[in-house]
Amino acid sequence: MSLASGLAVLTPLVVEFPFEWNYVRSIVRVSLYVSLTAVALSTLVSLPVALLVGFKEFRGKTLLTSVINTGMGFPSVVVGLVVLFAISNQGPFGSWDLVFTTEAMIISQFVLAAPVITGVSLAAVSSVEQNVRDAAYALGGTRVDVAIVTIKEARYGIATAVLAGFGRAISEVGSVLIVGGNIAASDGTSVTRTLTTAIQLEAEQGRFETAMLLGAILVVLVLVVNAIVVRLGNGGGRYG
Amino acid sequence: MTLEAIDVHHGYDGETVLEGVSLSVPSGEVLAIIGPSGVGKSTLLRLLALFDAPDRGEIEFGSERVWTGSQQRRLEFRRRIGMVFQEASLFDATVRRNAEYGLRVRQSWIGRLRRELSALVGMPAETIEAMEALETVGLQEKANQDAASLSGGEAQRVAFARALAYEPDVLLLDEPTSDLDPRNTAVIENAVLEAKKRGIGVAIATHDMHQAERIADRVAVLLGDGVIEVGDTETVFESPADERTRKFIDGELIY
Repeated sequence: MSLASGLAVLTPLVVEFPFEWNYVRSIVRVSLYVSLTAVALSTLVSLPVALLVGFKEFRGKTLLTSVINTGMGFPSVVVGLVVLFAISNQGPFGSWDLVFTTEAMIISQFVLAAPVITGVSLAAVSSVEQNVRDAAYALGGTRVDVAIVTIKEARYGIATAVLAGFGRAISEVGSVLIVGGNIAASDGTSVTRTLTTAIQLEAEQGRFETAMLLGAILVVLVLVVNAIVVRLGNGGGRYG
Repeated sequence: MTLEAIDVHHGYDGETVLEGVSLSVPSGEVLAIIGPSGVGKSTLLRLLALFDAPDRGEIEFGSERVWTGSQQRRLEFRRRIGMVFQEASLFDATVRRNAEYGLRVRQSWIGRLRRELSALVGMPAETIEAMEALETVGLQEKANQDAASLSGGEAQRVAFARALAYEPDVLLLDEPTSDLDPRNTAVIENAVLEAKKRGIGVAIATHDMHQAERIADRVAVLLGDGVIEVGDTETVFESPADERTRKFIDGELIY
């Protein structure tokens, strides 16, 4: 399909919007809530791990690095299965009653995004020169101050890591379908339905145009989040 | 307030670098540490800056043993020492933010948060001490420039101002002018003399004999077997007590 013919298909869809606004809004809200929460939690865990692996020598460091690198390419369906097992009645967290909830989707996206954010952040913080870290220490910085300087110096790389993690999370279908169930409420609004699972459903039912429209909304969302993160990265530079 | 190394031994990966080195950096005096490359001048300065504990021997600050005290006490000592390295190693920020760094880390977290928020809304709080330090090295006009836009010499001058801004008791300089042109070297040397006037004790590692003669009150000669001679600059250069010192100064010792 050429760009012109694609636009020709999408334009009437935008004009005669084929969904209830409440439905689309709820899908976007669930998608953003799940992915942004998962990425925020992943970042909180990943940055200290990246700093630890980057600058400390300890037993098992090579093994941990291998686990992180393997995790970056881990199949999402397998992650979904493992998380589903863990939270199902037979699993260790069965009593928490998480199956087919947004919390379960956050857990599975956390597992998918954390290795990506850790791996890319690790490369970024490792590239910060030891001289700069020494300068921060020599000027009276504590270990926390040196870590803050390292994060500020590596902020562009860390922003890339967060974006890569967000991209992995929001574009994810397999695991959120397994642990979330792609559920909509009786009033038609989303409970655990995300943009990706909604697209999958529309395509499965042969409504390609509407699937494409949802896809366009997803792309715009990713672009907006990217722009915000890049802006924040540059802001850190201005005041760093 | 005197910073002292007492019979210090230190090495890396089983290789001894310093063997029984003793010297002191008293207030209001410039001590030049001279010696060939690889002899352990930087290692000695890093021990004095409390980066590492010596393998043997003591580091004392104001006659107090540094490494037998608590970590908090050691942080207090560290915060009375400034250090400038051979490379400027400025942070990726404005010149002013670089000069303020030492002052910033000495503030409470609430104070720091308030400053960060002021900066974020475009009203950065100006620190008088940092601006005065930049004035000492003649760079107050460039305070709001990105540090990355400076020349190598200017960057090193900012690194010096950054260490001077929080008024340390002791300044440790590790070959700070070895990559600089004569003009920037002169600015740094004048700033060293200015720091001395303010009562700051300065130890400068250098292999520039002329620089040592120009700015140092005392000279310590480090030749691989520890400090072999410490004395007034004139005495060490004109009539050294140790024959190896004379040979090193005259360029007859080959390493």
